[in-house]
Amino acid sequence: MVSIARKNLFEDIPRFLVAQAGIMFAVSLVTIQTGILNGFTRSTVLLIENSTADLWMAAREMENLELTQPIPAERVTQAQQVEGVARAEALAIQSGRWISPSGDIASVRIIGYDPAGQLFRLWNVTQGSQADIRQPYSLIVDEANLKSLGFDQVGEQANIGAAPARLVGLTKGTQSIASSAFVFTSLENTKAYATAGLTSTVRCRTQAQGGVDCTTVYERLQASPNQAAPNAPAISEPQPLNANDPIAYVLVKAEAGQDVTNLQRRLNDQFPNNHTYTRAEMANITRDYWQRRTGIGFVLGLGATVGIIVGVVIVGQILYSSVSDNIKEFGTLKAMGASDWIIYRVIIEQALWMAILGYIPSIGLCLGLGTWTFATQGIMILITPISAAGIFAITVGMCVGSAIFAIQKVTHVDPAIVFKA
Amino acid sequence: MTASQIKVNMLAKAAHHPTSASSGAFESSDLKSPKTKAIVTKGVEMVFQSGSQRFHALSSVDLDIYSGDVQLLMGPSGSGKTTLLSILGGILTPTKGSVQILDREITDLSRSELSRFRLHNIGFIFQEFNLFSALTAAENVELVLKLKGFKQRAARKEARELLEQVGLGQKINNKPHDLSGGQKQRVAIARALAGSPQLIMADEPTAALDSQSGHEVIALLRQLAKEGGRTVLMVTHDPRIIDVADRVAYLEDGKLKR
Ligand SMILES: Nc1ncnc2c1ncn2[C@@H]1O[C@H](COP(=O)(O)OP(=O)(O)O)[C@@H](O)[C@H]1O
Ligand SMILES: [Mg+2]
Repeated sequence: MVSIARKNLFEDIPRFLVAQAGIMFAVSLVTIQTGILNGFTRSTVLLIENSTADLWMAAREMENLELTQPIPAERVTQAQQVEGVARAEALAIQSGRWISPSGDIASVRIIGYDPAGQLFRLWNVTQGSQADIRQPYSLIVDEANLKSLGFDQVGEQANIGAAPARLVGLTKGTQSIASSAFVFTSLENTKAYATAGLTSTVRCRTQAQGGVDCTTVYERLQASPNQAAPNAPAISEPQPLNANDPIAYVLVKAEAGQDVTNLQRRLNDQFPNNHTYTRAEMANITRDYWQRRTGIGFVLGLGATVGIIVGVVIVGQILYSSVSDNIKEFGTLKAMGASDWIIYRVIIEQALWMAILGYIPSIGLCLGLGTWTFATQGIMILITPISAAGIFAITVGMCVGSAIFAIQKVTHVDPAIVFKA
Repeated sequence: MTASQIKVNMLAKAAHHPTSASSGAFESSDLKSPKTKAIVTKGVEMVFQSGSQRFHALSSVDLDIYSGDVQLLMGPSGSGKTTLLSILGGILTPTKGSVQILDREITDLSRSELSRFRLHNIGFIFQEFNLFSALTAAENVELVLKLKGFKQRAARKEARELLEQVGLGQKINNKPHDLSGGQKQRVAIARALAGSPQLIMADEPTAALDSQSGHEVIALLRQLAKEGGRTVLMVTHDPRIIDVADRVAYLEDGKLKR
């Protein structure tokens, strides 16, 4: 077909550019909103998805990755003995009060793992080495948190509670947007941070399934926490975990050829006080928690909806005015005997051109913007192939939907107008 | 239908209706050799209703138009010429009466049937040319051919030939914007002839042209119509066009004057 649609579109270049700007605005808004949502949800489960563990054993109360009850460290060795388990490793998560070199405080999430282990590894270390966190009171943080933790570079020292915290390495893209800054260190250091300047008691909880679960609880000796001066505590050498020391998860790798679901069932049977999740379950629970908790899906969805509405209005208005300007030509087409469908096709084709020519630069723009925000803000605008395809579908729907106004106009044109001068 | 088939059909028709001398300019069918009728109307009435106002634009119009003729429709402004042309072109449906075009009673056709009927049987020429401003001369003609089912390649070739026939072989890639009024109307003639419809309907095709190019355009239209054996119905104000007509009908206040 001689593309009367395309030619009509390009006949008035300024109008075409306004239309494209409108579409780009709408598409970019939708892309950025869904990209932030994707980036957000992905960031909340980064630690889970980058672990190679098949199964995560946790307390039954687990709400999300960072919100769970402690379980005793002896679960690791117990799990190791279960048939079908290739490896079991501990993952500890503690909260800490960060005191930056200049004295500013912040909350941090201390993630303790075995740097010699296999199931939890930092996957994007940009400076230093994971082995370095074996040194006492040494840790790795994400580049994105460097400033907020009051650091300038590797080698500097701050405090967590009463204990020192020396920066030995950096990672990139490991931080959950929803959480306090992660600091990664060894299990021993995690225990040391939890216990520095504190006294220990063993606390036991009766479980619903019967039986008692005991973990060590560290509490301040003094009634007034203010007296624990940050820089002058008695700091001891970090010690390995005892059987009762609290950890958050036992990461489990199934033996090759082992059915993961079967192993999950076995672990649940053998440890009725705990619950074992698959990696996907862990990720889903955590993702859902943050989406529900923050209402981010709704907020960003609202933004995306506004984008679509603006897009529909602009495209609709442009198509309508283009059709109005050419109404006599459409009347002529009708008079000459073109069917309604042919005329709709012209308008829809025009809408499709607008969609394609608006979508491509918008996605390009958003990819560029995403790279920039990630590099400078540590905020990921994640455009997956699926969301890119979905946004293309939305763009096409938006443009074709907007064509309805123009189609209305053409449907009502009387071909007899062609003889009116 | 392919282009070549249409051509062959038209040539056969032309052979059956040798061009009649343009001597009998006025309605005098009795003097002519028997010809088939392209259009027959009986008791056509057109009433426009706007609000409570009723306006009789046409009353009991009985008009026969013969195949191969150049038929003029004349009359003062507001007499109903355009209305009648629209009805005979299948664009407007009369409020009363019968309209047979090429032996089809078009008042019985549905909107979409009527649309298809127009597409394949009638070419239109307008006072204001009504070309597609975003398309070149060739594309304007191609578009109609494509609507009629021509393939891209055949349409392009045919469009070029038609534009050469109207003397615009050098201007096929010009947009309407770059053409004079007379040239635009030639493109419109090429477009109306595209796909060889049997009927050509033109509403005051020279009204927007100076008299020189108006004359050229009409002469060209007549020549091409006669060559193809087509029937032309033309509304005009221009008394000089009477010379090129086979018959002339006069309208006054919506009635045919005998
Ligand atoms: N759609 C319409 N609604 C109402 N009146 C109309 C309409 N179209 C034409 N008319 C009236 O019908 C009469 C004939 O119009 P028209 O056929 O355009 O005349 P002509 O072409 O001979 O100048 C005029 O008085 C005109 O106002
Ligand atoms: Mg008129």
